[in-house]
Amino acid sequence: MVRSLPIRRVRALRETTGVGSGTQRARSFMIVATLLYRASHLAVGVLAVAQRRPEVPLPYAGIAAALGLSALLYGTALRRGRFETRYVWADVLVTGCTLPLALCAWGDVHEPATLAWAMLLGGSGSATAAITLPRLHVLGVVALLMVTHLIGYRAVGTSPAVIAGHLNALVSSAVLAWAFTWYLLRQGRLLDGANARALAAEAHKARYAERLEHHRALHDTVLATLTTLASGAVDANAAEVRERCAREASYLRRLIQQTAEEVHHREIGTALEDAVGCVEGLQLRVTAQYHDLPQVPPEVAAALGDAVREALNNVRRHAGTGHAYLTATGDPDGGGGALVTVVDRGPGFDPGRHRPGLGLRGSVHDRMAEVGGRATVDTAPGEGVRVELRWPG
Amino acid sequence: MARVITVAVVDDDRMLLDGLRAWLGGVPELRLVATAATVGELLAAADGHRPYGAGAPGYTAPDIAPADIAPPDIVLLDLVLRDGSAPTDNIRRLLRTGSRVLMISTVPDRSRIIEAIRAGADGYLTKDHDLPTLVTAIKDLATGRGAHSPELAFACAHDSSPARPRLSPRERQILLDYASGMTLKSAARRAGITVHTAKDYLDRVKAKYQQAGRPTYTKLDLARRVREDHLDGG
Repeated sequence: MVRSLPIRRVRALRETTGVGSGTQRARSFMIVATLLYRASHLAVGVLAVAQRRPEVPLPYAGIAAALGLSALLYGTALRRGRFETRYVWADVLVTGCTLPLALCAWGDVHEPATLAWAMLLGGSGSATAAITLPRLHVLGVVALLMVTHLIGYRAVGTSPAVIAGHLNALVSSAVLAWAFTWYLLRQGRLLDGANARALAAEAHKARYAERLEHHRALHDTVLATLTTLASGAVDANAAEVRERCAREASYLRRLIQQTAEEVHHREIGTALEDAVGCVEGLQLRVTAQYHDLPQVPPEVAAALGDAVREALNNVRRHAGTGHAYLTATGDPDGGGGALVTVVDRGPGFDPGRHRPGLGLRGSVHDRMAEVGGRATVDTAPGEGVRVELRWPG
Repeated sequence: MARVITVAVVDDDRMLLDGLRAWLGGVPELRLVATAATVGELLAAADGHRPYGAGAPGYTAPDIAPADIAPPDIVLLDLVLRDGSAPTDNIRRLLRTGSRVLMISTVPDRSRIIEAIRAGADGYLTKDHDLPTLVTAIKDLATGRGAHSPELAFACAHDSSPARPRLSPRERQILLDYASGMTLKSAARRAGITVHTAKDYLDRVKAKYQQAGRPTYTKLDLARRVREDHLDGG
C-alpha cells in the first residue's frame, strides 16, 4: 500500500489539470470576454434598427449578417478553444469595413446617430483580431478599420470630436485585448510550468518511495542473510541457509528483471510480486520471468494475484520440489490480454481420476471466472503441473 | 563415449571459479582444464604453447596431459566480464579456436541472451541452476547438440526485435511451454510428440537464430570480420 499511495496522488493532480492547461484557460477566458464585448454591440445594433424601423432593407440585412457572422466566429471559437483566422478576417472585412460604408451608400443613413451601431461592431472586431492575428496583421486591421470608419463618419458629417473618440476606441480595444491576452498567457505558462514541476516532483517521490520499499525488503532479506553469513555465526553450507540464499537470489533476479524491463503497467507485476512474497517465506523458491505485461483493471490484477498465490501454495504443498516457475506475459496472440503460468516439476497427478483439490477449484478456477478469466490445469502422473491463467477467458 | 570432456571457465568472480572447480571436480566425465578472468587471458595462455590455461589465476594442474594443450571442448563464458569486452566478440573469438561456448550469467538479460545466441553461443544458463543441469548442458554441447534452458526459451519466445526469425506454430508452442518451466518431457507430452522431436524443435529454433545472426552484419562488421579472419590466418 505504501507504493500505491503516491501514484494515486499523482493521478489526482493530473485530473485537476485535466480541464486544460493554464494557457488554454487564458485563451478560453479571452474568447468569452470578446464575445461579451461583441454581444453588447449587437444588442445596441438590434435596438437601434428596431427603434428606427428604416424603410430600406439594407439595415435589416446588415444586422442579420453581423449576427450570423458573430455566431459563426464565436461559436467555432468556443467549440475549438481558439479563433479561426479566416472567420476573424471575414468579420473584420464584412462587419467592420463593408457594413458602415454600405449603410452610408444605400442604408438611408444621413446622420451620425443612425450609423453609430454599425461603427461600434468594428471595436469588438478589432479586439478579436488583436488577440488572434500576427502583430503586423493586427496593425493592418486597425488601420483599415480606422480609414473606412473615418470615410463613413465624414460622409454623414460627423463632428471631428466624435470621430476622434471613435477612432480612439478602435485602437484602445485592440491594445487592451492584446495586453490582457499577453498577461493571461504569461500567467498560464507560469502555472503550467509550476504544475509540470509539481507532477515531476510527485512522480519522483513515488519512485523514491518504491525504491525505499525495495531497500526495506532487501534489508530484511539479502542484507540480513549476508550479515549473518559474514559473522560466521552460522554454517553457510547448512541446507536451510542455502535454501534461503537461493530464495533471496531469486528475489534479486526478479527485481533486476523488473527494473531492466521498464515495466510501464505495474498492476499485474505488483499483484504477482505480492503473491510470490507470501509463499517465499514458506520455503518455496520461485523463478519468475515477466514480459510485456498489459494494463488490466485492478480487479483483474487482484484476481490474477490471488490465483497465482493459490497455485504456488499448491506447488508448495504437493510438488515436493520446493521450486516453482512463474511466467507472466501479454497474450502472445495479441489483443491486450494477459497470460500467466505457474509450473512445477513435481509428481503431478492423473487429471482423470483426481478431483482437483479445493485450492485449484475454488481459489484458482472460480477466482479467474469472477473477472471473466479462465484457468486451465495440465498434468499427468510424473509430469509436474502446469496452471495457466488467461484473461480475458 | 568414454572420452573425458575438457572444460574451461571464463569468469571474473573468484568465488564462482572456486565453486565450479569444486563442483566439476566431483564429475568423472568432465575435466576443468583452465580458468581465466578474460577471454584474452585464456587464449594468451594457449598461444604461449604452455599448457592451456596455465597462466590463469587459480590454475592448478597436477598433471599435464596432451589434451590440455588443445582448446577445451566447452568454454563456460560469463556474459558480462569486468574488462568491458563485448559478449559477442568474446563468443566469436572462442568459437574460432574450435571450442563450443555455453553462456552463464547471474541475471537473465534477454536482449543479451539473444545477441549471444546469434553470435554463435550454444546455450545459456543462469548461475542458479544445480550441478546436474549444468553437467547435462555441457554433455549435450559436447555431443554436438544444443543445450536448452527455460530462460533461453523465454528470451526467444518473447523476442520482439525486428530481426527475429520466423518460427512455425509447433516450434513456438514447444518454446513457450518449455519457457514456462515445464520439463521438455512434459512439453512434448502436451504437444503430443516425442521428447526427441521436441528437442529437435528447440535445436531448430536456436539454429534459426544462429543463421539469422549472420546476414544482419553491417558493412562495418563485415570489414572487421575480414580483417579479423586475415589476422587469424596470418
